[in-house]
Amino acid sequence: MEDLKSKLKVQIIEALNLQDTKPEDIDDNAPLFGEGLGLDSIDSLELMVLLERQYHIKVEDPREGRKILQSVQSMADFIQSKQPA
Amino acid sequence: MAAISPQSTFEGDVFSAPLVHTDSNLLTCMEPDYKPFIPANSLRRMTRVLKIGLTTALQSIRDSGVEAIGPIVTGTGKGSLQDTEKFIREIEQYKETALNPTPFIQSTYNSVNGLIALQVKGTAYNNTFVHRGFSFENALLDSMMLLAEGAPNTLTGAFEEMTAEHFYIKSRIGFWKPAATDSRQLYEQLSPGSIAGEGATFFVLTGKPGPDTKAALTGFKMLYKPTAEKVAAGLSVFKDGVDLILTGRNGDSRYEHFYQQADALFPGIPQLPFKHLSGEHDTAGAFGMWLAAQLLHRQQVPAQWFPMLKDIPAAANRILLYNHFYGEQHTMMVLERV
Repeated sequence: MEDLKSKLKVQIIEALNLQDTKPEDIDDNAPLFGEGLGLDSIDSLELMVLLERQYHIKVEDPREGRKILQSVQSMADFIQSKQPA
Repeated sequence: MAAISPQSTFEGDVFSAPLVHTDSNLLTCMEPDYKPFIPANSLRRMTRVLKIGLTTALQSIRDSGVEAIGPIVTGTGKGSLQDTEKFIREIEQYKETALNPTPFIQSTYNSVNGLIALQVKGTAYNNTFVHRGFSFENALLDSMMLLAEGAPNTLTGAFEEMTAEHFYIKSRIGFWKPAATDSRQLYEQLSPGSIAGEGATFFVLTGKPGPDTKAALTGFKMLYKPTAEKVAAGLSVFKDGVDLILTGRNGDSRYEHFYQQADALFPGIPQLPFKHLSGEHDTAGAFGMWLAAQLLHRQQVPAQWFPMLKDIPAAANRILLYNHFYGEQHTMMVLERV
């Protein structure tokens, strides 16, 4: 799980071009939108694309997306829940 | 007004800057520090043309002293090529699935206008014209009509970028000179093709001159695919009182005869070319207009920018700008000192 979260942080920084942010600056449980990283609605679409490209997971329901993209922790939990046992 | 171009035109005493030249057949923009203009959170998402377009627009508003900007009217021949290329490449790479929204949104021509409006909280008329070599000119014409209808001012401009891929495509269809050409010798090397360029230029236009007005646009004509005779007739309209001619000469032997009409019609009137400064592109005419307005406002000619001229013309009061885009879209403008 820790490896997955570290990897996710690097991928988020790269996908959203967060130039002045380092992986260690992102708290696992800090909100990605609004406060925290201050991401916006276009970023949420970029993160959906990241999940699809990197983890082959398609989020069909946008309401589900809001919960999944709350934090790095929630994204990692979701990815792990979709991995084959 | 403001310009980001291959020359050092954005800030400071622009006429004292040295000439930037190239022998790669491509003049690339000198980019400023964007951070004083664009919030970091927005900057991270923008590609080059969006950054140069937005920053030039904001600098132009600052320079004008106008508090509330009215209609925003721009022209671009190609818009954001970098985003367009990325989006198209990803369609192929990801088999039309999982496409990033950002390059798609930013590949639309009116992205720069949208960003300007968001930044200045402008809710007035907002339009982008995409008409190849008439893109900026149509934006200018629309702005003049808006001012005639009572708009307090307009933010009018143009933006263009060149990418490696687009440069290659255009080289295949004869836009650029096949041999490496020193931009300082562009006008001596008459052969098919020119050198590429890019840039963003913005003006705040008003119907009546104010304390910060730099120049007045008093004549304007557009001709589409004219004969050389029609060009001569068009230029003749603006013959009276012109003391300097700015030409869009670009070293392309296929269309040089149009500029020779101006030579014949205005014997003894000094000429300045500007394509060795801006390079050739769809909206290079906007750079020509910026240069004309600067020459009128500053009442001097930066001699170091014109090493190909033996005699540097004196300050001008009435400039005729004649430019065309590969023989198709021809524009004549008269700018006067205020």
